Amino acid sequence: MTTIEDLLQQPATVEERKTPILDESSKREIRRACLTAVAVPGYQVPFGSREMPVARGWGSGGLQITLAVVGRDDVVKVYDQGEDGGVNAANLRRLIRSAEPVTTTTDPREADVIQTRHRVPEDVLVDGQILVLQVPVPEPLRGVERDMTELRRMHAEADYAKMWVSLYEDIVRNGIITQTTGYPCLVGGRYVIATTPIPRWDVPPLHQARFLSLFGAGREKRIYAIPPHTDVEPLTFEDVPFQVEEVVEPCRCGLIQPDEEPGAYLVELPGQTGETVWACSDTDWCARRRLEAGLLGEDAIDALEVDL
Amino acid sequence: MGYAAAKGGFDAIRSAEELVRRHRLEARSSWLEIDQIIERLGYAVDRVMGEGALWDPESSAIAFRQAEGDVVEAAHLVRAYRSTLPRLGYAELVDADEIDVLRRIVPAFREPPGPQLLGRTPDYTGRLLERSPEDESRRQAALAAAEAGDAAAAALADDGRATDGSPTDADTAGSGLEPARVPGRLMDVLRSMDLLVDRRRDDDPAAADISRVPARPGAPRSARLSAMARAETGALVQLWYRNILGPDRNIHEVTLGEVRHGRLPVRAEHPHLGRPVTVGHVRVTEVEAIEDLDGNDEDRSRFDVGYGLCLGHNEKKAIAMANLDIALHRDLALGDDAGPLEQSVLMTTDGLDASGFLEHLKLPHYVTFRSMVERKRAMAPAPVEPEATATEAKAVGASSEVPVG
Repeated sequence: MTTIEDLLQQPATVEERKTPILDESSKREIRRACLTAVAVPGYQVPFGSREMPVARGWGSGGLQITLAVVGRDDVVKVYDQGEDGGVNAANLRRLIRSAEPVTTTTDPREADVIQTRHRVPEDVLVDGQILVLQVPVPEPLRGVERDMTELRRMHAEADYAKMWVSLYEDIVRNGIITQTTGYPCLVGGRYVIATTPIPRWDVPPLHQARFLSLFGAGREKRIYAIPPHTDVEPLTFEDVPFQVEEVVEPCRCGLIQPDEEPGAYLVELPGQTGETVWACSDTDWCARRRLEAGLLGEDAIDALEVDL
Repeated sequence: MGYAAAKGGFDAIRSAEELVRRHRLEARSSWLEIDQIIERLGYAVDRVMGEGALWDPESSAIAFRQAEGDVVEAAHLVRAYRSTLPRLGYAELVDADEIDVLRRIVPAFREPPGPQLLGRTPDYTGRLLERSPEDESRRQAALAAAEAGDAAAAALADDGRATDGSPTDADTAGSGLEPARVPGRLMDVLRSMDLLVDRRRDDDPAAADISRVPARPGAPRSARLSAMARAETGALVQLWYRNILGPDRNIHEVTLGEVRHGRLPVRAEHPHLGRPVTVGHVRVTEVEAIEDLDGNDEDRSRFDVGYGLCLGHNEKKAIAMANLDIALHRDLALGDDAGPLEQSVLMTTDGLDASGFLEHLKLPHYVTFRSMVERKRAMAPAPVEPEATATEAKAVGASSEVPVG
């Protein structure tokens, strides 16, 4: 199955749908915007963003893309902050399943479409998979320029000087580049994009990826894409290497150790009494690894038994 | 892990929904009927229709009840409902002069051509809390209903709002103005007095559909007007006042030429007959705001006019809109010196955008926050204690190089 072909396919027939969220002509319009985005990697394609049953800022852009691109019998994964069982992921998964003839999974390896808020799966995604990223702020240059007309000019002329100056000033003032998530990247050598607020840890997997990434910003009414096999270069200087968030303490189950492969994006869980433990943000990946290692805890079973 | 817990997420949602549902169904007071909301909470229903961008009193009343009185939430429900419906066609353009007024005032002249019709308004009523006993109010309502003759008339007599926007007895009763409900327009008078700049143009002939093409800076005027027509009322009022008293200073007080509330027909081309037929009516509020031109490059001998029109009875919104419309026109005429007003109007006044994004802050953010904490630690100066220094250095240095490109 090829992802571009998926986008060109006819949608599920109306009879197969359950509780409609989007009408079919709207879905076609969104698929066309996705195709434009694929054709011009990194360019923010304006689209007639519809109002969704979730509020703007809650994944309405990602939801529109997912609803528009899923085909009959596709398998969908939805997760939020790396977690399949979180409230927002559970709600979106329920909505998608109620509206489209799809099944859902927590295992990204089984999924045709993965809708995510702020993480890229730790598993390596392959050809034919689509990663749909929910984007709150699609404009990478907003921090250095507020005027939208000027922003349009800067992108059109690939004039990213202000961005470079701000990165330089950051180093001069703070000694490091302080950008945390949503790190600006040059896509296909042409457009600078905001990598949503995914952590910097998740940026390298986007480079020359085998999968298609579609970024949906519902509130700001834009869609952009990183097609498969496209360069994604974080903006930095020759003598200032791009830094990701690293493992500084072992994961609580001991499977992730500092400076050992494979790493993972860990989140800090501060305890009541000041002690801190670290846990994998990608709960499904973590649970499978623990299962393999015979370290299955109760929370791992929970992660694998998310109500689908 | 609370509301983000692995399996707990779905259970938590279901429990929250059950609490919402239970309160709705098990409240001790009697069930709130749709006709009660439409008739007795008309301004709320009109706001939901305006901000929800859908003329449908019944759906709006249902949404308002479901949202438990939260207007923006109700507008969200209505717009999400819109998203499920196909766009089958566009209505024909209607001349606003076809308006059948329920209220019309012209503050600019004492005796303008056509009627000054105060209509139904609380403008000149003291804002005194009516503390009359509930039983007494009920008795009076029943009496009025009986006097009105039949129950249907009694229901509508409350405020003259018919759910389909059609005229009612109450609309026309006692005004003595039945035939003259389509007044002339003050703008025509000003034009005949040669007091009005003429900026009629033909490069924006049909209303831009901002639900299909996002309104962005550089959008035609019809897109700006559409954006304001469905903007959140409070956002427009705030933007107007910010420009009056705040740092932006794009607006000075206008004189209102027309403030109207009335009915306009909706016509669509009949698929078989091929000609326009009237498919219904909508109530609108329409405002024309006369602007005193005082810019260096402007025609100081004439006035200009800003226009506002929105669904339902919402004069605050239409007045703010008309004033912002002319302020935008004048600001954009400055070319490269134009300020940020256009972007403010187009990008910051939608109620769903603003409140949705504000409320998204309640979502789990621990992935991004962890990244922020990591950069804080990377920036922190190395502590002096030898052991701590080693740990800290590791934390900083641990942000390893990743080959790219």
